[in-house]
Amino acid sequence: MGCVSPLGRGLPSLLEGIEAGRSAVRRMEGWNQYLGLRSLVGAPAELKDEKLIPRQSRRSMGRLSIFAVQAAQDAVAAAALDPALATTGRMGCVVGSTTGSAISISQAFETMLPDHDLTKLSSMQFFHCISHTATMNVAQCLKLNGWVMATSAACASAMQAIGAGYDLIRLGRQDVMLCGGAEELHPTVTGSFDVLFATSVKYNDTPGLTPRPFDRDRDGLVCGEGGGILVLEDYEHAVKRGAPIIAEILGYHTCSSGDHVSESSRPAMVTCMREALKAAELEPGQVDYVNAHATATMQGDKEEAEAIAEVFGPKVPVSSLKGYIGHTLGASAAIELGASLAGIRKGLLYPTLNLENVSPECQGVGHIMGGSLQREARVVVKNSFAFGGISAVLVCRMA
Amino acid sequence: MTKEEIIKLTNKVFEESFEIDPEKLVPGAKIFDELGLDSLDIVDLIVALQKQFKVQIREDERVRTIRTLEDVYNFILMLKQESAGSGQ
Repeated sequence: MGCVSPLGRGLPSLLEGIEAGRSAVRRMEGWNQYLGLRSLVGAPAELKDEKLIPRQSRRSMGRLSIFAVQAAQDAVAAAALDPALATTGRMGCVVGSTTGSAISISQAFETMLPDHDLTKLSSMQFFHCISHTATMNVAQCLKLNGWVMATSAACASAMQAIGAGYDLIRLGRQDVMLCGGAEELHPTVTGSFDVLFATSVKYNDTPGLTPRPFDRDRDGLVCGEGGGILVLEDYEHAVKRGAPIIAEILGYHTCSSGDHVSESSRPAMVTCMREALKAAELEPGQVDYVNAHATATMQGDKEEAEAIAEVFGPKVPVSSLKGYIGHTLGASAAIELGASLAGIRKGLLYPTLNLENVSPECQGVGHIMGGSLQREARVVVKNSFAFGGISAVLVCRMA
Repeated sequence: MTKEEIIKLTNKVFEESFEIDPEKLVPGAKIFDELGLDSLDIVDLIVALQKQFKVQIREDERVRTIRTLEDVYNFILMLKQESAGSGQ
């Protein structure tokens, strides 16, 4: 696994921040100039070392693609993959994001619209803005010539990417897939949630106290940014080359509520978790930890807590990592799954940061709060939900 | 605008837009083979030169004959002289 998160580049830095109970949420400078933008907080990631990517690869990358490529480079290194695999046609990538680079999209319109003049646009603007910018750049930079696809399911993009890669490997079409997502922070991104009253607005002067998943005093999500890439590999292929296996994917499911584009749907969440467990051939009682999607919105947390309670009851430990790094949207499932699995390898189930008083409507599940739970865990469920009525759930077992 | 000014500003475009080492920016340097630009870079080179020199290059067929950095300097000089001659 490789990641660039608001707590730094690389898993060690992310885990160190989580274990120290550190929040990466900041008040964003300059955001108060936007009329109507009430949420002035974000969880920025640091963009650095981008010049280590050769210019001719980098020129087609907006901010989110650089995060994706750096995460992919780190993931390949961590998995000790032979670079020669890239050009066998048996290795590809599925990397998702909500949109193309929000910064570049904004710049393109700012360049073109004042004079309705296209001649000032760079040739690269298109490559920064397209929906498959992250996956395309990962593939080109790493010289992959296998299957390359993008998922675009907003906050569930990374999870659907992992699910798609898993299916390709199960079908025997690919041996190795780099899967995950990337996202970048921009006022238009936070603004799109703010318009829907889904953002945190009460903590602009105390940013470290938000988001507050499942908490009584939660008031909405905080957007973050970064990239997360997992290496998925055919089991026999991995064993044969002596790969450092972290976990085995046992089941995956994605479904739609078919009901509403923005309202969270407990029945759809329940269905998705149950179908993923069914695919994994497991009973809820066999699950040791649920890493929740929980973004700290009023409705989403309530629906998810009720759904988890309905499927798993009150005993299975549950936490959300968004208190530390905000909601990294299209990257979130990959970053949070990677951090959860790495924590479990250290014998730790991480607590939900800023969860101090469980909201009455989020009771009934085994919230981890206050400190890490030192407990061995084998089977992990990762939830990921998105606007558009999308649910996606992964079940895996530690190696 | 003098040729020296054009050379200085053109080289600045190559340094800033394409991260090319100033030492490589000699008049005889071939843009594709020696400076490493490709077809996509040429699109951006045109956009950058248009912005830098306030000239129109995109639709000018003569741009296709450019091979070296010296060709770029001379082309810009010619455009500047043409626009000065036409009173623009």
